[in-house]
Amino acid sequence: MRKLTSRPVAAAIAAALLLLSSACGDSTATGGKVTLTVATFGEFGYQPLFEQYEKDHPGIEIKSRVTDFDTHFKSLSTQLAAGRGAADIVAVEEQQLPKYQQVQDKFVNLAEYGANELKNQWVPWKWAQGTKDGYVLGLGTDMGSLAMCYRRDLFQQAGLPTDRKAVAALMPTWQAYADLAGRFAAEQPKVKFADSAGSVYTAMLNQSPENYFSAKDDSYVADRNPSVRNAFYLAGGLAERGQTAAVTTYTQAWNVAIKQGSFATIACPAWMLTQIKEAGGTDVGGKWDVTTVPGNSGNQGGSFLTVPKQSEHPKEAYDLARWLTAPEQEKKLFLNAGILPSEPSVYEDPQVIAHTDGYFSNAPTGQLYAASANQLRPNYRGLHDADVRPEFGKALGRIEEGSENVDQAWADAVQMGREAIK
Amino acid sequence: MRDRGTFGARLDRKATPFLFIAPFFAVFAVFGAFPMLYTVWVSLHDWDLLAGDRGGFGFGNYVQLFGDPRFYNALGNTISIFLLAAIPELFVALCIAALLNHRLRGSTWWQTGVLLPNVVSVAAVGLVFAQLYGRDFGVVNEVLGWFGVSPVSWQAHRWSSHLAVASMVMWRWTGYNALIYLAAMQAVPQELYETAALDGASRWRTFWSVTVPGIRPAIAFTVVAGTVNGLQLFAEPQLFDAGGGGTGGNDRQFQTLAMYLYEKGITKFDAGYAAALSWVLFLVCVLFAVFNYRLLRRLVRSS
Repeated sequence: MRKLTSRPVAAAIAAALLLLSSACGDSTATGGKVTLTVATFGEFGYQPLFEQYEKDHPGIEIKSRVTDFDTHFKSLSTQLAAGRGAADIVAVEEQQLPKYQQVQDKFVNLAEYGANELKNQWVPWKWAQGTKDGYVLGLGTDMGSLAMCYRRDLFQQAGLPTDRKAVAALMPTWQAYADLAGRFAAEQPKVKFADSAGSVYTAMLNQSPENYFSAKDDSYVADRNPSVRNAFYLAGGLAERGQTAAVTTYTQAWNVAIKQGSFATIACPAWMLTQIKEAGGTDVGGKWDVTTVPGNSGNQGGSFLTVPKQSEHPKEAYDLARWLTAPEQEKKLFLNAGILPSEPSVYEDPQVIAHTDGYFSNAPTGQLYAASANQLRPNYRGLHDADVRPEFGKALGRIEEGSENVDQAWADAVQMGREAIK
Repeated sequence: MRDRGTFGARLDRKATPFLFIAPFFAVFAVFGAFPMLYTVWVSLHDWDLLAGDRGGFGFGNYVQLFGDPRFYNALGNTISIFLLAAIPELFVALCIAALLNHRLRGSTWWQTGVLLPNVVSVAAVGLVFAQLYGRDFGVVNEVLGWFGVSPVSWQAHRWSSHLAVASMVMWRWTGYNALIYLAAMQAVPQELYETAALDGASRWRTFWSVTVPGIRPAIAFTVVAGTVNGLQLFAEPQLFDAGGGGTGGNDRQFQTLAMYLYEKGITKFDAGYAAALSWVLFLVCVLFAVFNYRLLRRLVRSS
């Protein structure tokens, strides 16, 4: 025994060193190739583009990291806090953007690489959203101009018209939409008119230039802004009358509700079509259709590509982000994956406008969304939008669950929203 | 030369054992002690997860915490779910262990079987249970419907959400506890059972007077470990709250302390508050573990 451990000290130190050295190690540059990681959430439709980019740039290898929305932003926050682990290109959604603009020094100012030259590529408000005081945080990808998706078969069963133009004419305003919900419920008591009060509310609110915060000084105006109150009371009324299916968007229950045909309408931003297709599968293919949304337009969602400062290859990352958001690629994304570009030259392209979607009864989605995009009035979100928004969503949820009436829920939401700002 | 040799040997004898255990302490210092102490530091500041220290040294976070109704709401939920899960869980585990302790055909199969729920990833358990408890198309409501019960919106009410989350916890931990009890039961001296049989004690009596006191250390372990796990409950309720953003329902009706910590620290970036909360959670765990341990000692001794 003694013999075996004649140099135990050295052995222990060696063991400890081994342990430490194996814990540290990096591998971004493999065999002279630069590896770029691109983190996105949901469906960006980038995979074929990555393959093409790799073919055109032999020195670049692209790793795609796709997670769900919540996981994506939780990881980004922890990675920024820890100072490592973030991807080279990270997609940030428009509602999340103000939160990250508060710590924009954690991201590369893309103006340093010449992003300002690209400015005119985008619709002006899209560019403005991604920029703060000359600091270019992100390059715009898609936008979420709004339309209204509805089930033709369910409308027919309720004795309502099914033609796109006729349906749009039935609901020029949200009040008309709510009235239609009543007519529908009288004929079709088992099917709900809307998916949730939250999604009706969000669509309405997104048509308003200001939401919870004043564009002038970022002060909390939820209690004074009539748009917020009107949207809340209209959506809350639907909830109180049991005219919503009370399923939270993108949850398992929402997917099942689409497959089972539990609701007849949903305000759908361009990117939602893919999600409806995935949830519905072949069972409900051809039963859905798309028409103009009450109030004609509105934006909901849409993202930006950012480069965190911790990236080891910011220049290469910027080049890839610029390429991915260039009009040529955005057009391909729309035609192949239905992702609506935020660049007028693309959404006014004849090929894009002529695009129809077979799953949605050959609805002219290109034309519908382009028209919506042209009428779009961008809205001011405010720095604490992401803190306040959920409180109003939960209040509408409480109405759907029957634990509060609209007045109580409104009072609570205004109060909790104020507390959430801190 | 000779002196140096003995000095070296002496040092060797003294220092070597410590060096051998050093890797553990090194790892513990880096991944255990340092984060804990750092959390104290963070909890004493107004600390943003991304922006870092924003000054304001003091007990502000703690003061705010003790005046925060959402903290007490989360504390109440945590304790309620813990009690709903732990008490039936330990009794059922005791019964399963007693059954397995008898010679059963294929006992290895059964013993492995009861551990299976614990091996399955908690994420999978959460997803499956969330579907079972689905409001519109869930199996549980379907079965209840056979008995004329109208569909329950499990996430919507405090009582129903607590029951549902507690059932997930029970599903995961009952088998694990049963195996610990079983191992302890097999170490109870056979003579005690023979004596009890000679005295004419019933099987029920033998179980409560011989088996249960005989496995007291195992019960103590499961109670303390169960308390610590139960009070830190996170994954099950978080996954049960599909799309809710981690607030545990629209009225925070099943938000646990760990979920509130996560909401504050990761969703709202308020790392200072979250750090303070984690220390209070730690103290709550210690208090409960000591209380439960004492309670158990009294209960088992009196029987």
